[in-house]
Amino acid sequence: MTMGTITFENVSKTFSGQSEVRALEGIDLAIGEGEFVALLGPSGCGKSTLLNLLAGFERATEGSLLFDGKTVTRPGPDRGVVFQEAALFPWLNVWQNVIFGPQVQGVARVDYESKARNLLKIVGLESFSDALPVQLSGGMRQRVGIARVLAMSPKALLMDEPFGALDAQTRLSMQQLLLDVWQSLGTTVLFVTHDIDEAILLSDRICVMSARPGRIIRTIPITLPRPRSIASLTSTEFVAYKARIMSDMKVGAAHA
Amino acid sequence: MSISTGPIASRQQPSVFSSASSVLSSAARRNLRQVLLAIVLPVTVIALWQWAGNGGSLFGGVLPTPDRVWHAWKVWAFGSAGLGLNPYSGTWLANLLFSAERVGKGFLVAILVAVPVGVAIGWNRIASGTLDPTVQLLRPIPITAWLPFSIAVFGIRDMGAVFLIALGAFYPIVVNTAQGARDIERNLVRAAMMMGAGRWTILRRVVLPASLPAIFTGLRIGLGIAWTAVIVAEMIAVKSGLGYVLWDAYYVGRMDVVIADMATIGLLGLISDRVILLIERWVLAWRRLQSFHS
Ligand SMILES: Nc1ncnc2c1ncn2[C@@H]1O[C@H](COP(=O)(O)OP(=O)(O)OP(=O)(O)O)[C@@H](O)[C@H]1O
Ligand SMILES: [Mg+2]
Repeated sequence: MTMGTITFENVSKTFSGQSEVRALEGIDLAIGEGEFVALLGPSGCGKSTLLNLLAGFERATEGSLLFDGKTVTRPGPDRGVVFQEAALFPWLNVWQNVIFGPQVQGVARVDYESKARNLLKIVGLESFSDALPVQLSGGMRQRVGIARVLAMSPKALLMDEPFGALDAQTRLSMQQLLLDVWQSLGTTVLFVTHDIDEAILLSDRICVMSARPGRIIRTIPITLPRPRSIASLTSTEFVAYKARIMSDMKVGAAHA
Repeated sequence: MSISTGPIASRQQPSVFSSASSVLSSAARRNLRQVLLAIVLPVTVIALWQWAGNGGSLFGGVLPTPDRVWHAWKVWAFGSAGLGLNPYSGTWLANLLFSAERVGKGFLVAILVAVPVGVAIGWNRIASGTLDPTVQLLRPIPITAWLPFSIAVFGIRDMGAVFLIALGAFYPIVVNTAQGARDIERNLVRAAMMMGAGRWTILRRVVLPASLPAIFTGLRIGLGIAWTAVIVAEMIAVKSGLGYVLWDAYYVGRMDVVIADMATIGLLGLISDRVILLIERWVLAWRRLQSFHS
């Protein structure tokens, strides 16, 4: 049984409006079960748009987009989305936010309770289950965002710059957390970032995008050994990858 | 610093009263000061009014002084009914309850209709297209203009007053609710859809709570209009309540009762607004924590 495979075939997206914006053009991308793929590119190149198409929030203008072999038509709990600003429900406390997914899907309480409790422990927020989102720091909110998605056991995680708004230190601990979670779950992940270090550290493969129209201009496999940790950030292989990607991105900029 | 208005200023300078009343906790002192500040103006006005009156009235006998108003109110509230000479004797509570009940009924009807309609207008394009133009078309018609219509349809009965109140309170609630539902953050809805919530679940568990701050704004404005509407309706379309007494007392030249009646309306309006505020504080605790003043 395939779990969380993603296929973009020649996908394009044009936003119509007062002036048309060609956000994505000719996207071909296949992501296998359990693969961790990072989308890297400058601001406005269409990373969020690509992710939103896969999430089912927006529709492709051309091409086909398959998730587990089926055309994506709308959002669903098989594709858990982690937003940049967490997008927690401010009127629900941490616990209620985490169980929102199973609850609205009609899962019986006994079937999600222990799992949700365990997830809160994993993200280190067991003692905050009664806190409201406003009472949490940005990093804690993002951890809730991850826990609520994992509570649905999605086949894929779609993450749109989830750590983009965090300070450097919190960001590192979140990256470590994500590595640990992913290594134990093996879910497919599509991870949007504009941080080169983050892309190399986390992913199996980096897709570098160029702006207007958004295209994937390079795909770089990252073969750093797993399991990784934030200690990998200083290894010589890491630095070599980083040098290469930085020169790649300059090439992309020159073409554009 | 001599400017001390608003909660921030008062929080920053606890020293002014602290030496004088160190027995009180700082919170109690703050509350006491709030109350003192609040009554300065009304007490001054009433005192001036009393002082300016001579022989118990101002403006050549038109306006009674506060002591006479106070006396009239005591008779109106506690006097024994049926002493013949004073038809208002002892009817204060009964009339107050008549008015309050009408406001309660009308306001409840307004909420029950306006909140769903408002959410629908703010959330659904078809509902907005069908309902909103009609609401906007009817909204400029003041409730006073509805009076003849209301009397013709409902007669001189309670229903007419309740209708006018409900209608008056409906507009601010519907407009604010629609605005709240329209302004909902896109990613909250997306998050709910992503977690598998259906349309109704999203309406009930996301759109509605997200609109609550705006709904409460509408409720407070609507309640104010409800009090206006009940007085207007009772002056003309029914034969009981504070509005009826107000107009009736004016006709027989009892300005002391008129003013006691006005004060009663003001107090009731204030109290009912406080009640809504208390409910809002409780329902929107999550929102208060976000605010700068919390
Ligand atoms: N709803 C929309 N309507 C019109 N244009 C849009 C819309 N959403 C995005 N765009 C345009 O599409 C392009 C890609 O936007 P997108 O948000 O995908 O970029 P991004 O790579 O995620 O950027 P960032 O790193 O800043 O988040 C931009 O030029 C943007 O202006
Ligand atoms: Mg983006």
